Amino acid sequence: MNALTLRLLPKALSLLLTFGGALAVSSGNVAHAAQASAPALTPVTAYRTASCGCCKGWLQHMRANGFVVRDVVVADLQAIKRRLGVPNRLNSCHTAEVAGFAIEGHVPAADVRRLLRSRPAVAGIAVPGMPLGSPGMESPYGKEPFTVLAFTRAGTISAFSRHPQ
Amino acid sequence: MTTPLRRRQVLGLGFAALGTAVAAPAVWNRLQRSASSLRPATLASRGGVAELELLAQSSRSTIPGGPAELLTYNGRSPGPLLEVKAGDQVRLRLRNGLNQPTNLHFHGLHIPPTGTGDNVFLTVPPGGSTEYAFRLAKDHPAGLFYVHPHQHGLSADQVFGGLGSALVVRGDLDRIPEVAAAHESVLVLKDYASSGGQDAAMGVGRMLGREGRLLTVNGEINPELPIPSGGLLRLRLLNASNARIYRLALEGHPLVLIATDGGAIGTPEPLKELVLAPGERADVLVQGNQTPGSYRLLNLPYRRSGHMGMGAAEERPRTLATLRYAGAVAPLPLPQTLIPVAALPAPERTRRFVLAHAMGMGGMGGMNHAMGGMGGGGMGMGFQINGQAFEPDRINTRVQLGSTEDWLIVNDDVMDHPFHLHVNPFQVITRGGRPESQRRWKDTVLVKAGEEVRLRVTFRDFPGRTVYHCHNLDHEDMGLMGVLQIEERGV
Repeated sequence: MNALTLRLLPKALSLLLTFGGALAVSSGNVAHAAQASAPALTPVTAYRTASCGCCKGWLQHMRANGFVVRDVVVADLQAIKRRLGVPNRLNSCHTAEVAGFAIEGHVPAADVRRLLRSRPAVAGIAVPGMPLGSPGMESPYGKEPFTVLAFTRAGTISAFSRHPQ
Repeated sequence: MTTPLRRRQVLGLGFAALGTAVAAPAVWNRLQRSASSLRPATLASRGGVAELELLAQSSRSTIPGGPAELLTYNGRSPGPLLEVKAGDQVRLRLRNGLNQPTNLHFHGLHIPPTGTGDNVFLTVPPGGSTEYAFRLAKDHPAGLFYVHPHQHGLSADQVFGGLGSALVVRGDLDRIPEVAAAHESVLVLKDYASSGGQDAAMGVGRMLGREGRLLTVNGEINPELPIPSGGLLRLRLLNASNARIYRLALEGHPLVLIATDGGAIGTPEPLKELVLAPGERADVLVQGNQTPGSYRLLNLPYRRSGHMGMGAAEERPRTLATLRYAGAVAPLPLPQTLIPVAALPAPERTRRFVLAHAMGMGGMGGMNHAMGGMGGGGMGMGFQINGQAFEPDRINTRVQLGSTEDWLIVNDDVMDHPFHLHVNPFQVITRGGRPESQRRWKDTVLVKAGEEVRLRVTFRDFPGRTVYHCHNLDHEDMGLMGVLQIEERGV
């Protein structure tokens, strides 16, 4: 998926959302609609740097929840984040791409599944930083509450879900 | 930020010494009246003896937009400025008015790590008190040091909550005429959680190390730093924040570095920017030689995770304080030389310390209180040095008293780690393979994500058990610390 498609995608997705997320409005989105009905099979491409100790934990979490995950080690993670439109202040240690959406950081698989079902008009969802207790960040040192944030290409940020709710 | 009532309460505790100690020229006295609150309350030694008392407690905060409650020493955050002289006998009673254990670390002082010295293995229970007592050597370097809690598992909570005091040791550097002529301001840089509590939601939680949105200098938001035309200002900067790394710049003026953590450098060094990691200190001179007006002391954006971009909630410069010209004095010169920093002997051996976060057994030693009785440890995310999380009863490194070693600190992590060694100062030899511009005494060095720093240290004078650790205190509390045993030869 190239950058141009990604820029156009939110508009198409907002249309999809208008129709309840169930209708394919153009031939280009048929594939996405099909994936949305079976999100567990939607391939995830995850980008991380070689030294990250917790990114692998998130990959395991996604695989345990039925996602097929391609693990890509990159030198310049920032370039990936820029391409996918992740706002700087939402950055975490890894970035993934699923069905055209950016998934930034330790986002629970349940939220990714809901994103693929509901297909809101956003560029992606993010858990900034590395909250203790988030998927891949399970820690004997405790748990921090965290909010999954949705973001658009225009930089609008809104709450997508809260953990704990 | 302290109410008059609290001041009276503090006086009622019976301190032996309370008041400022430095005589200032008349022009400074006039200027200082407008910024009197910039001078933190001072507890100073008299006649070679420092009888000090710190009461750790929770107090109502008066910082606009700040948390409702702050942790304070003697009702203040930051705590009172402690001022002693090389050669002094120091007796400091710590009273614990908190509902959790606490203790003190004398960050940067070259004193014994045992007994009533810089013993971070001591614990003062809630309601308890203890006396730290030690003598500073007559040749102890003059400098700015730092007193703060070091209770494993609670250090970050307590420092982020507000505890910490600057400690000035008077001595050699203060006697250099140009330095003595400068007007001195100790600036304690500390960030606080905002009352909205939004800080963690934007990703600056414990794993990266908590930062607060409120930036303060001596507990004030954007205080004024008066300077007369021609005057010389000595800013003594302490990063007393939990995790925030400051990138400082003063509009229109270079910051002329004259001292680092452990005291004077050899030659003044003008800097456009000064990066100060938690626990680091720097003395800089500012010359009042620009067009009179107001100039902002800025904190420039800094990413604590290098190219990863994490922890970059702030993307614009923020004003910490404002330098304001007022009045004029005959121009004061900068010093040409300071105090030579001797080269250390060739190292007897080199050790390697790899810092990282990883899945493993959490080093839960000493954490039981903090974890609400969870205890026992467990698998999960934490920090490690050479694959091991901190355990208070496990000695990670044994060195010989009197020996010199090179330590290669390898940051194999996705975030920066300020590495701090207790008791003995070190010199940074290379950073990323490049030598430093001049020798400096350091006890805390910022090792950026992916970077390697070679430092050299001689273990002088004091045998005993102490620690080295990351001074991002959330990282320290989550295992990024090791135990160092300094052994007498032949033992």
